[in-house]
Amino acid sequence: MDYVLQQLANGLALGSIYALLAIGLTMVYGILRLINFAHGDLMMLGAYLAAVVIGSAYIPIVLAVLVPTVVIGIAGLLVERTAYKPLRGAPEVAMLITSLGVSRLLQNSTVMGLSPQPRSFKLPGDLTTSFEIAGIRLTMLDLLTLGLVVVLMVGLSVFINKSRTGMAMRASSENLQAARLIGINVNHVIGAAFVLGSALAGLAGFLWAGRYGIIDPFMGFEPGLKAFVAAVIGGIGSIRGAVVGGMILGVAEIGFVGFLPPEFSGFRDAFVFGLLLLVLLVRPNGLFGTSEVERA
Amino acid sequence: MNRTNAQAIVAAAGAMLLLAACGGGGSEGGGEDGPIVIGAVYSVTGSQSSIDEPGLKGFELAAKQINEDGGVLGRDIEVSHVDAASDQTTLTNVVSELIDNDGAVALGGINDSTFALAAGPIAQSSQVPFVVSGATLPTLPEQIGDYFFMVPFGDDAQAFAIADYGLNELEGQTAWVLVDQAYDFTTALNTFFQQRWEEGGGEILLEDSYQSGDTDYSAQIARLQDLEKQPDVLFVSAIPNEAGIITKQIRDAGLTQPILSGDGYDTPLLADVAGENADDVYFSTHVSLDSDDEQVSGFVAAYEEEYGTKPENAFAALGYDTMNLIADAIERGEDASSEAIRDALADTSGFDAVTGNIAYEGESRKPTKSVTIIEVQDGVYEFADEVTP
Amino acid sequence: MRRAIPVLAGLVLLVALLALADMSLNSYYLRILGLMGIYIVLTVSLNLPNGFTGDFSLGHAAFMAVGGYCAAVLTMPLVSKELLLTELPTWLQETVVPFPIATVAGGLLAALVALPVGLVVLRLRGHYLAVATIGLLIVVQGIATNWDSVTRGARGLSGLQPHTTLWWSFGWAVVTIFVVWRMAYSPFGRAMVSIRDDPLAAACRGVRVFRTRLVAFIVSAFFAGVGGSLLAHQITAVTPSTYSFDVTFLVIIMLVVGGMGSVTGSVIGAVIMTVVPVLLRDLERELDMVGTAQLVIAGALIAFMIFRRQGLMGTREFRLAGRFGPKASSPSPAPDQSQTPTSS
Repeated sequence: MDYVLQQLANGLALGSIYALLAIGLTMVYGILRLINFAHGDLMMLGAYLAAVVIGSAYIPIVLAVLVPTVVIGIAGLLVERTAYKPLRGAPEVAMLITSLGVSRLLQNSTVMGLSPQPRSFKLPGDLTTSFEIAGIRLTMLDLLTLGLVVVLMVGLSVFINKSRTGMAMRASSENLQAARLIGINVNHVIGAAFVLGSALAGLAGFLWAGRYGIIDPFMGFEPGLKAFVAAVIGGIGSIRGAVVGGMILGVAEIGFVGFLPPEFSGFRDAFVFGLLLLVLLVRPNGLFGTSEVERA
Repeated sequence: MNRTNAQAIVAAAGAMLLLAACGGGGSEGGGEDGPIVIGAVYSVTGSQSSIDEPGLKGFELAAKQINEDGGVLGRDIEVSHVDAASDQTTLTNVVSELIDNDGAVALGGINDSTFALAAGPIAQSSQVPFVVSGATLPTLPEQIGDYFFMVPFGDDAQAFAIADYGLNELEGQTAWVLVDQAYDFTTALNTFFQQRWEEGGGEILLEDSYQSGDTDYSAQIARLQDLEKQPDVLFVSAIPNEAGIITKQIRDAGLTQPILSGDGYDTPLLADVAGENADDVYFSTHVSLDSDDEQVSGFVAAYEEEYGTKPENAFAALGYDTMNLIADAIERGEDASSEAIRDALADTSGFDAVTGNIAYEGESRKPTKSVTIIEVQDGVYEFADEVTP
Repeated sequence: MRRAIPVLAGLVLLVALLALADMSLNSYYLRILGLMGIYIVLTVSLNLPNGFTGDFSLGHAAFMAVGGYCAAVLTMPLVSKELLLTELPTWLQETVVPFPIATVAGGLLAALVALPVGLVVLRLRGHYLAVATIGLLIVVQGIATNWDSVTRGARGLSGLQPHTTLWWSFGWAVVTIFVVWRMAYSPFGRAMVSIRDDPLAAACRGVRVFRTRLVAFIVSAFFAGVGGSLLAHQITAVTPSTYSFDVTFLVIIMLVVGGMGSVTGSVIGAVIMTVVPVLLRDLERELDMVGTAQLVIAGALIAFMIFRRQGLMGTREFRLAGRFGPKASSPSPAPDQSQTPTSS
């Protein structure tokens, strides 16, 4: 029983980070129909920033959380304005290809600007020492991650549903043209989505690096891809869906490795994407998806 | 067929001609007077870079020292390096470029067996000796041919050494094994370890696996903790990128058994990432860079002076030895032609390298070298044992 | 008959040039040229789904892997087989198939795999299809890494013979161009383009939408398999990383540079993007700044998408007579679909 609970806890901890990434992806996709392949690479930049902050001596740990969040939020906006905005009105595929290019650009700039060598990422203090509750081993960081995800999900849901910008976002994701026609500043909305989403990616970068203790320029691509899978499972465009999808994916991935015989461990990623195909076929709108999007 | 179809073909042909024209003037470097061109095949970008970059730095350092001492046969060594970008297609192009365009008379480099298997045959078919600096698959020379030489020992040697150490010195009986499925090196190391462990009367309780690039090992570790009988030692067959993170996660989960591994663990990342969690880690490798041995400390000092950092890992020393071995062969053969270098290399015996004594017995082209066992305590990599197979 | 003359002239010229290259170039340049032929096969074939039917697939490398591994197992010398592939069924272990047949077999197997895969993933469109095909690539890589008895996992299959000569790679390039051209500029091609531009309207006009997309997907997979085999026998080793996402990415860039929806564009894109990285690598050596090539290519891709997203050729075809412009049967340039959420 402990074993099952432990695997569940591991899955939720991993899933929380997928969820943070998925929120950003789902917001952007909802409005722009763009799979932002560079999203995971923004997370990578966030991790490097956090490393710089932590490395520079006695800066309070709070800043290691805040700086990546804020700076990557702005970076996300910059990426949008320089690379994606000129493509407004272009076929969707053009943006998709562009985001692949941006992803490569960010990875290789990091390689050239810093180093291709992976480097360690050490959190100070007690964040990473583990303790046991009811037979389950957890770290403070795990709890912090889980807590942050829940708080952010609730906060963002309120923002999306109640604030003016949030409502404009929803309108834009229903129909971008119509939103423009009724006087919504679409660029403003898209910018807001990028800032928010990228900020969360920056935060995820800190959490990911803290959890695994190592960062490298290529660390972001695969989590970014998996977060998209999470967003699809949850139903693209839905924040709640992104969070639930992230959790499901995390638990499923860990469960796959943990409950099947070890010979299957190597098929972990294959399993994740197999799951994606299954969801797309059986329930293409995901768990919480309502909006009618381009699929069939 | 229609006209435009033909024009498509003509367009292709025209473009090709353009390239052919560009490629007219290839430089020749194998002449009698100028510098002796030695090709360096290392990937300084991509997944191999964390072990290849130190390798290249060691290689270039050796060449620099040789030239400062007057070169070989009165000629300078010129290291020709093109980034292989951790990509097979690029790698094969690069090897060919070094041989055909740069006129390299011998090649050195590569720290991964999979890449060696793609690069080796090209050098073999051009009859240019290839000295592999860090790829440890023991069957490489047989598989590739008589122009292929290894600087490191084979995976069999290092796996046997660490298995023996675990059985005898640490008095382990039962082992848990975690293996990276994504590399030749890690799967071979695992096979040899298990073979030796069981021959020595040990028992493997569970073999689990992952893929390089995975970052979360909690599922595998939880399964290990769920074993009815807890193992005496944990054997992890990993490449350097994952050494620290796996160790950290194992220790974070509250497991305190000794962790054993091969030269993939020989990376500062281990102590960096895992910190005090890296205590009680034992691995086999090529050389202890903290050794008092004059040659080793001399190399470390020279490296630090040249690059401002200590050698990142043993691959730096292997790169250094590779270049020196090639230079030694040229000197001994008194001839800088590929064929003479090959013959001199094959006759190598008692070449005193940083990573141990290199001798090729018979036509083996794989050295029997001593294996060093390193123990990590308090973040310091200490020499624990030296085994000569 | 008259129309066949320029074709023959073109082929003769190509053969003459190849013979000239074969005689005068060293093996490095021959290797790059061979690679160029392989990339032409890959890019032109990827154009079928991605450019003509508008099914943006990122899974080309998956089919290359299927074809490459299949052909490699078939052509591997008996000695190597005995050493490396001891767990194969006996009949396979005792047969060595000539390279051309093995390559066709690799292509056919890739096409065979594409049938069920296509039935599943082609129910999706747009981005979903793109991600699903990446998923396919990751699944195939997972199988290649773990199916030890046939693929030898991460260790891969090595010791293949370097069968891929200039003649084979350009021979297949010509075949690919011919087949894709015949498909693209035929009633079938018009059906493909009408699906790309408006699937609903196409269906209303009696185009069998799904079947057309499936055929394009399968033919594309066949040539991807062939390309995979050619690449395997150029490198002389196959491992899972031979057919990584990087290969897909490179072929996508070639496609984009040339112009999606143009066969000659694909050829030009493949040629340029084979040569450019080589030149950039030389530049890297001059400047001693490793990584520049990757950076420049990524930057150029973005710039291309912003300033010339239709690629060099758009949907036009290159003609010798200098008559640029749409051919009667060729599609008009793809309209910039204003992206409404419910488009298609």
